[in-house]
Amino acid sequence: MKVKVISRSVDDFTRERSQDLQRVFRNYDPSLRTQEKAVEYVRALNAVKLDKIFARPFIGAMDGHIDGVSCMAKNPTQLKWIFSGAMDGDIRLWDIASRRTVCQFPGHQGAIRGLTVSTDGRMLVSCGTDCTVRLWNASADNLMELSNSTKNSVEPASVHVGKNAYLAVDHQWDSELFATAGAQVDIWNHNRSEPINSFQWGSDSVISVRFNPGEPNLLATSANDRSIMLYDLRMVSPVRKMIMMTKTNSIAWNPMEPINFTAANEDGNCYSYDARKLDEAKCVHRDHVSAVMDIDYSPTGREFVTGSYDRTVRLFYYNSGHSREIYHTKRMQRVFCVKFSGDGSYVISGSDDTNLRLWKAKASEQLGVVLPRERKKHEYHAAIKKRYMHLPEVKRIERHRHLPKPIYKAAALMRAMSDAKKRKEERRKAHSAPGSVTTQPLRRRRIIKEVE
Amino acid sequence: MPETKRKHRDETNHRRGHSKPNKNARKKKKTGPRLPSSLQKELDRLNPTTSIEIDQDIDSADGDAAERELLPQDFYEYEEQHAEEESKKNKRYDPGSVDQLQYDLPIERSDESEDEIIQSDDDNVDDDDDGMERTGDAADGDSSEEGDGRHTRMLQGITGMPSEAFEGKKKRKMKDDVIPELYPESEYNPSRDVVDGDGQISIDDLLNPLQDNPGFGKLRKRIQQIENNSKAIHAPLRTADQAKVERKAAYEISKKEVTKWQQIIQRNREAPTLLFDENIDLGFSTVGAIASEFEPRTEFERKMAALVSDDKVMEAYKKDAYDAWQVSVEEEKDRQSRIAKMRSLLFRHEMKAKRIKKIKSKTYHRLLKKDRLKTEYSNIQMDPEAAKEFVMKQERLRAEERMTLRHKNQNLWAKRILTRGLNSQDEGTRAAIADQLQRHAELTRKMHSMKDSSSSSDDSSDGDDEDAGSDQEMGSKVVGKAIEKTMKVIQDDHETPKSGLLSLPFMRRGLEKSKKAAVEEANLALQEYKDSKKKLENSVGSEGPEATSISGRRVFGASKTQISDAGDKVKSDYNYGSSDSEDDLRASKNGNIETQGSNVLQKDVNTDAVLIQEDTDNHQESVFKDFNEIVKNPGPKTTYEVSLFVSDTWKKARNRDEKGTNVKKSAMPSGPVRQDIKDTEKEVEEDSDTDSEGQMVDGILTSGSKLSYELPSQEELIRQAFAGDDVEDEFEKDKMEILNVENPEPEKPVLLPGWGQWTHVQKKKGLPSWMLKEHENARKKREEAIKKRKDAQLKNVIISEKLDKKAEKLHTKALPFPFTSKEAFEQSMRVPIGPESNPATAIGPLNRPEVVKRPGVIIKPIQFEEVNPHEKAEQRRGDKHRSKKNKGSGGRSMKKTTA
Repeated sequence: MKVKVISRSVDDFTRERSQDLQRVFRNYDPSLRTQEKAVEYVRALNAVKLDKIFARPFIGAMDGHIDGVSCMAKNPTQLKWIFSGAMDGDIRLWDIASRRTVCQFPGHQGAIRGLTVSTDGRMLVSCGTDCTVRLWNASADNLMELSNSTKNSVEPASVHVGKNAYLAVDHQWDSELFATAGAQVDIWNHNRSEPINSFQWGSDSVISVRFNPGEPNLLATSANDRSIMLYDLRMVSPVRKMIMMTKTNSIAWNPMEPINFTAANEDGNCYSYDARKLDEAKCVHRDHVSAVMDIDYSPTGREFVTGSYDRTVRLFYYNSGHSREIYHTKRMQRVFCVKFSGDGSYVISGSDDTNLRLWKAKASEQLGVVLPRERKKHEYHAAIKKRYMHLPEVKRIERHRHLPKPIYKAAALMRAMSDAKKRKEERRKAHSAPGSVTTQPLRRRRIIKEVE
Repeated sequence: MPETKRKHRDETNHRRGHSKPNKNARKKKKTGPRLPSSLQKELDRLNPTTSIEIDQDIDSADGDAAERELLPQDFYEYEEQHAEEESKKNKRYDPGSVDQLQYDLPIERSDESEDEIIQSDDDNVDDDDDGMERTGDAADGDSSEEGDGRHTRMLQGITGMPSEAFEGKKKRKMKDDVIPELYPESEYNPSRDVVDGDGQISIDDLLNPLQDNPGFGKLRKRIQQIENNSKAIHAPLRTADQAKVERKAAYEISKKEVTKWQQIIQRNREAPTLLFDENIDLGFSTVGAIASEFEPRTEFERKMAALVSDDKVMEAYKKDAYDAWQVSVEEEKDRQSRIAKMRSLLFRHEMKAKRIKKIKSKTYHRLLKKDRLKTEYSNIQMDPEAAKEFVMKQERLRAEERMTLRHKNQNLWAKRILTRGLNSQDEGTRAAIADQLQRHAELTRKMHSMKDSSSSSDDSSDGDDEDAGSDQEMGSKVVGKAIEKTMKVIQDDHETPKSGLLSLPFMRRGLEKSKKAAVEEANLALQEYKDSKKKLENSVGSEGPEATSISGRRVFGASKTQISDAGDKVKSDYNYGSSDSEDDLRASKNGNIETQGSNVLQKDVNTDAVLIQEDTDNHQESVFKDFNEIVKNPGPKTTYEVSLFVSDTWKKARNRDEKGTNVKKSAMPSGPVRQDIKDTEKEVEEDSDTDSEGQMVDGILTSGSKLSYELPSQEELIRQAFAGDDVEDEFEKDKMEILNVENPEPEKPVLLPGWGQWTHVQKKKGLPSWMLKEHENARKKREEAIKKRKDAQLKNVIISEKLDKKAEKLHTKALPFPFTSKEAFEQSMRVPIGPESNPATAIGPLNRPEVVKRPGVIIKPIQFEEVNPHEKAEQRRGDKHRSKKNKGSGGRSMKKTTA
């Protein structure tokens, strides 16, 4: 009789440690597993359900301000520190890990409207309605010393007094320049007491300014006259202006795609633009039911977070028309500022109720150390979820979110209104000569004109 | 609007005030007279050397209101206005002038840039003004042939400037004249030069005094040169326009600058994964790395290190270790081979046992047992010791059996079966019971044999302890009994009830009828019995040996087992017989088993046939005999028998037919016309059916009357086949049923007694109106739904519109967004990605998320890196390769750093 022996090398099968897994050989012939697709579907369903079960996005609130939080700034070198400015002129540095104030920066007489940190993390710039720009030494060593001592407050390194109130400030990436916005856009150097450059185009005040992190010489501003303006520091001039139907409250450049930026608009939508083609938005991100107050991109450039006057925080993909996530709590009031953390896994929101809130960017993500096998499992779940995302059952569970009643109702109302408008438009089109009535796509509808 | 205008005016005035000091120096370059080109040409012709100071704001009429106010004071104005107007009017309708206008337009345009410097913001208004003036100017161009004086007057009228402005030579003369200023000099009051016409000092004016002085020749030459080479330089744009142009250019440049990112962005967007976790230095990753950095510091540590790193100690340790484990190669090999042998033996044994244990075949085990017994038996025969032992064992078993009577239907199972009745049991149970009893018989045989010898057998009515007797005897006995019983029945039947229900006349008649039939039957049966009895008696002699061989068998009261026995016998005895005959016999046997009527005679006949077949000599004859007998007996069973026989032939015929159809099929044209094939198949089937019928008929005919049968026509056959069933009606019923299921009929409104009723008053009203309305609505809805169905118009078709809810869950309503075709979408879900169906090496890439980042690692914004678009594919491949090796690399332009 012939004996067939399976030959296996010992090296392959010896475990190094007793905890190691035994090697398993499988026959991967698909004909042996005809039900695999069905199995994976069920797994996807379960994964989605598990996601729902584990969705606990709220980590904690940071309490300490005595007025609404108006602006925040993250330290580009320090993951766990975040600066926040309040309407009463209080600036605080928070340790996110312990959710405590590290130190305060007293000095401003009016509301803080802008905060930013230099790329090396050494300089904190603040500006406010008291017409001053203050620079603070915010280097890690200095602050660590402070936090250890009992003093707990910092003196400004320098104070520049301007003529008008400042409404926003942003720092250029990897340089000593920063820009303030107010009656005009001023470009400052750390070492000068006067702005090295000022731009004015139009007479209305500029309410937000944001440097392009990928292309540091470009900056975008939005003004009260409903315009979005682009500036190029190399040309020493404003470059282009675009006027929309409603005001843009904030702008964020995509850090991974320097040609694209997203504007948070007063009408509750966010508009993603290509800086080269301002006559139409690349994508309109809808879902907020009230003005979007602030926007910040994830450092991965694949998603962004928005804070709205409707008391919610939403997360969007950079290319999707609707939000993928909504965060709200009963106690959170109007959200004035939002920030993504430096590693793209947390979101911080500052709201009218004087609190900063820390959220997970992925609601059901597992915090802490994730072992390789766990990670693989998560990845597998995410992959099958993505694969079966379009099937009705999975989709339904995945998309379901509990909404506060006012938002639910407002959304329904808005939907009804837009439907009615659409209906009317359709009828008008149907009853007029072909070609005489044209409908603009939403991407273009809200843009009035582009000014050279 | 007025505000902006005012502002602008202020601005222009302001600017003018500023530019005044420079005016003289830059007169030639910048501030020419702001007249339309035609006018200017005219003036040049008249007065080539002098540069004329003309009022600056011609176009912006508002701006120079003050100047206009001044004009009426000029005494020329009033007198000449009328004539000038006339001339203008005349010229306006001159076709030539219109031509001129059209022709001149481009030139004016080119000059317009000069005018625009001081234009106000509201260009439109000014443009209109310009147009108006241009027409006038064109008219002037024509009138240039007329006298100078008139021309200047006209000019004055149009431009509102003093006539001196247009009279160069006169001016010169009047230069020395002193004109007293009535107003203080300011921007609102035109200065003396404005009133005067020429207050500007030209270079010539400055140079003239030097004309005669020596030493300025060089300067003069230079001036000459400049004058000769002088070109008109465009005046700069308005600042707003300039800024606009600048912005436009800047935008173009920055656009271009930004476009360099396009490639990188595209690549990153197309990449299946973005990796943000490369180039992270997290310090030591392994224990070994940490240990390698260890440096002894304390005394003790240093001592230890010295010992550990001592060469001698190390060598000795290594040598020791080597000696301790030293084994010769041969020994090791020997040991290994030994162990391997043992293992293989054990393994084989184990496997064999396992295999044997797994075999389920009863025959195999029976054979195995038989084998074992055989060997045992041979052992017994060879070895007296073993024989003794065997005998002892048998004896013991017998004793035990006698004591316990274990196999005499004593256990619960057997009892239960017996109480239920053996006849109602199935074949297997019966066989099992028989087996048990046989066992018992075997074990207690000795005693029985003694009994037999001592006393004749008991009555064989007790089936359990059946004594040996030949089948033939049994058969004759049974037949005898049957005869007795039938006789009895015939006699008994004569008794009729005299009273009760059965005594009624019609009942009596019916009974009589049935009785008659029964008697007839009984008579027939009697005859049969007699025949069979005769045959049995005949066959006893010839079947002597065979019968004795069978005699060892026990038979139970039920006749069925006997049949099966017979069948078994046939099977075992005629293994070598021709397969055909065996088939036939088996068929007959089956037929017998199926005949539950337990027709004893028939059985006997059958067994008879079997027995006869054993004799090869009169084999055929007996079969025929059998047939004859069957034909003689017109009972239903016999025909069945025949049909069985015949059916075999029919089968064969059918086989042949099928072959034929196969041939037909192959001969058919290969074009895949399914309908055709179906049709032909149907036809073939029908053909074969009719054929078989015919043959069946033939088979019957062989045993009956062949000639009297007539083949019915096709139509008749179909009519007969579908007689009584209305297919169309049924179909309609089916359709209605399906409709009702898919669009259920609304329930009729029912008023629950006591609900919604207060008094008898409401009762009169009947059902509430809303109920009726609802019902009506539901009914209408249903009707509409039915009308909308796809099969509403198709009378003979049912198209089900029922949705499979379970399957619906697995389908999307529309094609999801990124996919362009259904196939692509389905393809995306086709291959499973789980760890059960993919090797570990493939799972990683299959399940990798879109963004791979590490928590706690700060991601910095993108930094520019040159991308060669032509190397795309290669890079991709490289990407893949790298990602296979280690997923720590990928999107190259991403810059990552540690936190």
